[in-house]
Amino acid sequence: MAHRVVIVGGGAAGMQTALELKSRGIEPMIVERDIELGGKARAWHKLFPSFTPASDIMQPLAQRVKSERIRCFYGQEVVDIASDGVMLRSGERIPADAVVVATGFTLFDAHRKQEYGYGLYDNVLTSVDLERMMNGGCVALADGSKPRRIAILHCVGSRDEKVCQKHCSKVCCITGVKQAIELKQLIPEADVFNFYMDIRMFGPGYEELYREAQERYNVHFVRGRISEASETINKRIQIKAEDTLTGRPLRMTVDMLVLLVGMSANYENEVLAKRAGLELAPNGYFRTVDSFLGAVRSQREGIFFAGAATAPKSLADTLAEASLTASAVDDYLRRRFNTASTERAEL
Amino acid sequence: MTFFAPFTIPFIAGTIFLFAVVAIKWILWIVKLPKVDKRLIAHNLFSLSTLAAIWEVVRESLLHVRIFRRNMLLGFMHMSLAFGWFLLIVVGWIETIVYLGFEMIPLQGHVFFKYFMPINGIESHIPLFEQLMDALLLLVLTGVALAWFKRFGSKRMGMRRATKHVLFDRVALGALWFIFPLRLVAESLTAAIYGGNGFLTGSLGGWIAELLPNAVVAAIYEPAWWCYSSALALFFVAMPFSRYMHIFTEIPLIFLRKWRLHPTLERKSYDNFEVEACSRCGICIDPCQLQEDLGMHDTQSVYFLRDRRYNMLSLKVANNCLMCGRCESVCPVGINLTTLRINSRAKRRNIPHEGRYRYLVDVDRSSGNGKVGYFAGCMSSLTPGVQRSMELIFKSVGEEVWYADRDGGVCCGRPLMLSGETDAARKMVAYNTDLFRRHEITTLVTSCPICLRAFRENYHLDGIELLHHSQYIDRLIAEGRLSVSAGEASFSYHDPCELGRGSNVYEEPRRVISAIGELREPRHSRRDALCCGSSLANTVINDGQQLRIAQRMTQELVTTGCDTIVTACPLCHKAIARATNHPVADIAEVVAGNIAN
Amino acid sequence: MSTLNFGYGINRARAIDLDTNDLGKSNAIIAEMPELQTCIGCGSCTASCSAGAITNFNFRKLHTAVRRGEYKGIYEELSKCMLCGKCQLVCPRGINTRALVMLIKRKLGDF
Repeated sequence: MAHRVVIVGGGAAGMQTALELKSRGIEPMIVERDIELGGKARAWHKLFPSFTPASDIMQPLAQRVKSERIRCFYGQEVVDIASDGVMLRSGERIPADAVVVATGFTLFDAHRKQEYGYGLYDNVLTSVDLERMMNGGCVALADGSKPRRIAILHCVGSRDEKVCQKHCSKVCCITGVKQAIELKQLIPEADVFNFYMDIRMFGPGYEELYREAQERYNVHFVRGRISEASETINKRIQIKAEDTLTGRPLRMTVDMLVLLVGMSANYENEVLAKRAGLELAPNGYFRTVDSFLGAVRSQREGIFFAGAATAPKSLADTLAEASLTASAVDDYLRRRFNTASTERAEL
Repeated sequence: MTFFAPFTIPFIAGTIFLFAVVAIKWILWIVKLPKVDKRLIAHNLFSLSTLAAIWEVVRESLLHVRIFRRNMLLGFMHMSLAFGWFLLIVVGWIETIVYLGFEMIPLQGHVFFKYFMPINGIESHIPLFEQLMDALLLLVLTGVALAWFKRFGSKRMGMRRATKHVLFDRVALGALWFIFPLRLVAESLTAAIYGGNGFLTGSLGGWIAELLPNAVVAAIYEPAWWCYSSALALFFVAMPFSRYMHIFTEIPLIFLRKWRLHPTLERKSYDNFEVEACSRCGICIDPCQLQEDLGMHDTQSVYFLRDRRYNMLSLKVANNCLMCGRCESVCPVGINLTTLRINSRAKRRNIPHEGRYRYLVDVDRSSGNGKVGYFAGCMSSLTPGVQRSMELIFKSVGEEVWYADRDGGVCCGRPLMLSGETDAARKMVAYNTDLFRRHEITTLVTSCPICLRAFRENYHLDGIELLHHSQYIDRLIAEGRLSVSAGEASFSYHDPCELGRGSNVYEEPRRVISAIGELREPRHSRRDALCCGSSLANTVINDGQQLRIAQRMTQELVTTGCDTIVTACPLCHKAIARATNHPVADIAEVVAGNIAN
Repeated sequence: MSTLNFGYGINRARAIDLDTNDLGKSNAIIAEMPELQTCIGCGSCTASCSAGAITNFNFRKLHTAVRRGEYKGIYEELSKCMLCGKCQLVCPRGINTRALVMLIKRKLGDF
């Protein structure tokens, strides 16, 4: 019989790991909290830096999981993880030979930065809300009209000790650039202002996209973090920042404020880690053995990681890491049960 | 009878020294009082407040009622030492009077009465005195035993930490520990030689007479009295420089306080009475969150007062205080710890240069016209939900409002005062006072307890009613102008320091919340409420340390199992919001979400 | 506004000269509050500043100048601060800005 591996989380990381394991003759099972696979990327509109529709990646993944007959549990939450299986909230135990934690991340709750007025002011959105709007094909204000002046604020819930989020969420900078371009494409007459602390363009094609936003789309980049926002009588948003490059306070009124929300560690990580004997990094993400050859291994033999459960990652990085996880799981099973993958395939 | 023996010389010298030093201290402190304070004394000297002061001296300096209420065992320790010793002196004095009449008996005659007049020297002695004096001695000895016990096992006394002391304290404390056991020994030896029937010294004397040969008893008799006299002398010499000076300081302090003297944001001679009235009992240590949450053990009020008294106060200790007022609310002597801490900070920093804050001239960014003014406060602009909720509430009751700082305002000045820059703060006080007067408001509602406290304590705004928004909302509901819908939701209320202990506002927010849902109290609440850690008063602890205080305090609110944590201060709101994922709201937001008008 | 100008600017060199600037006081300040070095220059402090809304007070520029060994006029300029604490509430690095204002004033004002 093939070895069985339980994957906690059916997002991009979980699905890709499952498929990779399956191709190695191992029997993966996915436990997903939601009622369908796909995780957060499912709701995304287009992906940076190529503007590939997210559905072009996520739908085939989900279909392959289905066609490979990988067993999935939906609407089930894992409350306990061990190297020999997981425990569901329902009390059911799923035994396994290894476990992959692909639980991803939680979006930073923009309500926690009340000074930006999310949830208070009609025309303050998060980057996720904007993707949803773009999925609908229309970016509009609360009253249905088109925004003419849009501010995008970077680092909301990232690099901010005041909300206990010390880390950089890595993908927001490029997302901000991508969304600015999309907004300009949808509403060419709009002025878009990106407020940033640092612009971090770490991936292939990112810096080029940044340049394109500046040169081709005339997106304005203002180096300064917005400190507070207020709503005017006609529902516009007045923002305050320092234009640090001129060294003077800056005030402006925009129709729409987009908050680029960061990636937080899942709240449940703490309990899961405690029960499983795993370690957490100070920012609440799972700690891996190291960031090199042990980047998908946990402190417990038989428990592995894939994707953004260990740190903020782009979709591309997540998919690449999933293969690495599958290979590490395969190695482990072979060492443990002393079987070659070829033999297993025959079984 | 001459009532003189060589062994009394240390006692006599010590006593003269003690009273001379105490007298000099008192005279200097009173002479140096500012004119205002002297006028207050002259005005109130012959009034009922003097009688009230005498009553309080009995209650607090002798019986220690406040410590009793806080901690029975600790109260008994202080009472048995203070009241017991006092009665020993009084009853001893009566004893000599009864036996010898109102003759001129020198002090040492009273104190060493047993030596000068052993029982066989009195023709018709009254056994009651013997028993009474022995009972009192036993009472004091019990106190001494408890003091020993407290030093070596403070936890059992209900105190997690006892105070660390300076050299003078140790000398005085050491002497104090031995005074009464030595008296016991000396009087028992007297009883062993001359007889005596007190249940304590008499019995002990009987045993000594049985156990030891007469020669030995006779040999150690004089030295024992020498030791007793020397211990007294040592105590008296160290006393004015030790914490025991509180015995002689608390009494005038009680009178001065009843005559309405109080410390101010500037140092003055009155502070000496408060500083030296501290007995270093250490009751202020346990409630301090810097100690409890951050493991800081050198900055609590007892150490602050000690350092200030001996002129070794560092800027760090002066600044390392949340000024939450938790210690002040439990201080058995009622010392104004917060005010003293502020005026210690003023020492070197309070030098505003001339043009400071000149930019405030002619600034007026207020809007609206109403007799009711709304001052959100600087911090509230970072919690816009509070401002919006207040605007909604004003609108739904049809209140015409003048908004002082909707477009940015000028600080109330309290943060500067807390940092010791009281002179500079006056410019802000003058600016805002002028602004309020110019717009002729009659009520001022503020959302920031820090501002509220400044307006109440440091402004002269006669004719303008000063309200926190929770008080204003409470009134609207009581007057029937605002109706709120009651529901099933549960709320846990956090008392902000400046609103609760600082401004004595406890009931109004609770009434408002109870009108909307179920109110759940955390473990520490009202006068006992914990500080959120974000206090502007502390400039020593860092952000991470503030967070740790916030987390522990928030935990208590979360464990009530409430749906929403409610507070009434923008700083507390921010502190709680960062410490938990639990929903947090300002009381105004809760009300605005449940208006039924 | 390319360099700091507090009314002393007439004869000052334009460039910040780190070869000649004395970083002694700057280092002493940093030694007492190392967190100053964690500033990422986001400008939140200046943006939210109560005093900065009325006058051209810029805390970020002032403490940066101090860190470069430029002390002239800083004490007077820092005296514009009302210590209201808004900047401390917004600083993403959790710098104790109020303590910093007091510290710099103490070190530069020699008291």
